[in-house]
Amino acid sequence: MARLAAILGAVWRAFQRGEKSIASLAGNNFFLVAVFFLGKAGSFLFLIMGLVVLFPLSTDPLRKIPPSRLALWPLDKREHLLLRAISPWVNPMTWAIVALALWALRGSVTIGLWGLAAGLVAAGFVISELPLPRGATMWRRVPHFPGELDQLVRKNLREMLSTLDFYCALLLSLSTALYRVFGPPLPSEAFMAMTVLVVIALSSYAQCLFGLDGEGGWSRYRLLPMSGWRILAAKDAAFLLVVAVLVAPLAPLAGLGAGFVALAMGRRPSVLDPRPQTRWRFSAGASPVYGIGQVVSMAFAASAIFLTSWLIFLPCVALWAGSLWWYGQKMEEREGGGR
Amino acid sequence: MISCRNLTRRYGNFTAVDGLNLEVDMGAICVFLGPNGAGKSTTVKMLTGLLPPTSGTVEVCGLDAAANPRELKRRIGVLPEDLGLFDDLTVEEHLLLTGAVYGLDRQETHRRTTQLLHALSLEHGRHTFAASCSHGMRKKTSFAMALLPNPQVLFLDEPFEAVDPVTSKIMRDLLQAAARRGVTVFLTAHILSVAEEIATQIVMIRKGKIVWNSPAGELPQSLEAHYFDLVESPVVEELEWLGSPPS
Repeated sequence: MARLAAILGAVWRAFQRGEKSIASLAGNNFFLVAVFFLGKAGSFLFLIMGLVVLFPLSTDPLRKIPPSRLALWPLDKREHLLLRAISPWVNPMTWAIVALALWALRGSVTIGLWGLAAGLVAAGFVISELPLPRGATMWRRVPHFPGELDQLVRKNLREMLSTLDFYCALLLSLSTALYRVFGPPLPSEAFMAMTVLVVIALSSYAQCLFGLDGEGGWSRYRLLPMSGWRILAAKDAAFLLVVAVLVAPLAPLAGLGAGFVALAMGRRPSVLDPRPQTRWRFSAGASPVYGIGQVVSMAFAASAIFLTSWLIFLPCVALWAGSLWWYGQKMEEREGGGR
Repeated sequence: MISCRNLTRRYGNFTAVDGLNLEVDMGAICVFLGPNGAGKSTTVKMLTGLLPPTSGTVEVCGLDAAANPRELKRRIGVLPEDLGLFDDLTVEEHLLLTGAVYGLDRQETHRRTTQLLHALSLEHGRHTFAASCSHGMRKKTSFAMALLPNPQVLFLDEPFEAVDPVTSKIMRDLLQAAARRGVTVFLTAHILSVAEEIATQIVMIRKGKIVWNSPAGELPQSLEAHYFDLVESPVVEELEWLGSPPS
């Protein structure tokens, strides 16, 4: 048992140190907006909330031990089984699901809601056991782009497609597009609102554009003889391409305008406070306050473009271009100064 | 070709590099030796403009590293300590990116890429993403990126570690051929036999200070013996429990 206790102690410490999911949710704009609207939530929003909250938190703590190390330790079959049975309890989500089950038995929570939560946790747990593609391998065949930024834009696109933000936005975009085709007619304002929601789902990523490049990527950026604004432009091109595709069936101009504003507003933390991100998780922005500012600006820009005039799109682009130039300079000033 | 005067880098109270003075001529292969934590990588970072010195000056290719960082980057090739690779690009895509960024036309980039992939036995892994590459493949990719723009000076941080003997020999031959054509090579290494084979200049650093700097031919004894004398002599700790019967 001493061996098991030592291993579980190590798993506990590693899990506590490595668990950034809760912190990442607090900085995720879509999570903030979902919490804000929770009072008026329908089952659809509950489902999205469940995906956003429960899925990233439901990882197997035993993953913290490299499989090769676990296989090399002199544990017998009984100890392996015990480790397998006890280790999930290191994750607080396991306790939360048990508590929810007790509430369900007392009738405080419906069995259906408990089943949904437990299913999401179980799915997250099982999926965390699978060897996930590194993003790049899954998106090997991204298109080429003209100019010397081609490979950088492709890389940035692959990075973006390995975050859950993209899949959340894709879910929203696809479901709305399908509803538009097959459902009863809706006022056009509804599509504008869903457009804003799609861009909000992507917007936290605009606060951490360099989060998936890693230390090696940062070194390379500092070695490349390129101006800062061009490095940022390669990041922005990938982001705007994703926004353009996802908002195309909704309110495209308003969505793109919101995308430009999201990039401009997210520039400061992206460049001056780059924080590492984790693949197949939601992006963690700088702070909830910053996120709210970004969301309000985007919503304002999209509404103004949609409800007043397309000319509002131009100041959005100008704001983006200004941020590109200014923070491009900042990047170059920081060259040689480390992260 | 490389010149630094009183180069110093401090981290709080800790001085990583302390008043380093160094001259490396065009076409030289300068091997920079020292134990882990001696300040080798910090020196390379300052010489390549990745890290600003606390004090002192650096001149590479006649350019002040602090005043002309972008022009300097155009003229040097670097294999950094962390290799500087993007997880989401393949081996080949890294080389194509390098060619495009350094202003080579597409045809020339493809020609050099094909040659480098062949020379470094990377052809079979050209479509492998850096994240999925072995450490040796990653190192070879970063080495190829350093060579591809045909730089005037090469800075290589531990280029021979983790590569197989054949590739190591190919890399050494490539560097010696480049040096004969006037390319200056500045590299750090731990493998003394390799250093001895290719160096034209030997510099040893200990606790941030240069303790030896001479042409390779002027070493008074074998490189290993001299290194142990000046830098660090190995002390073998007796582990009496190792190999004894389990209690």
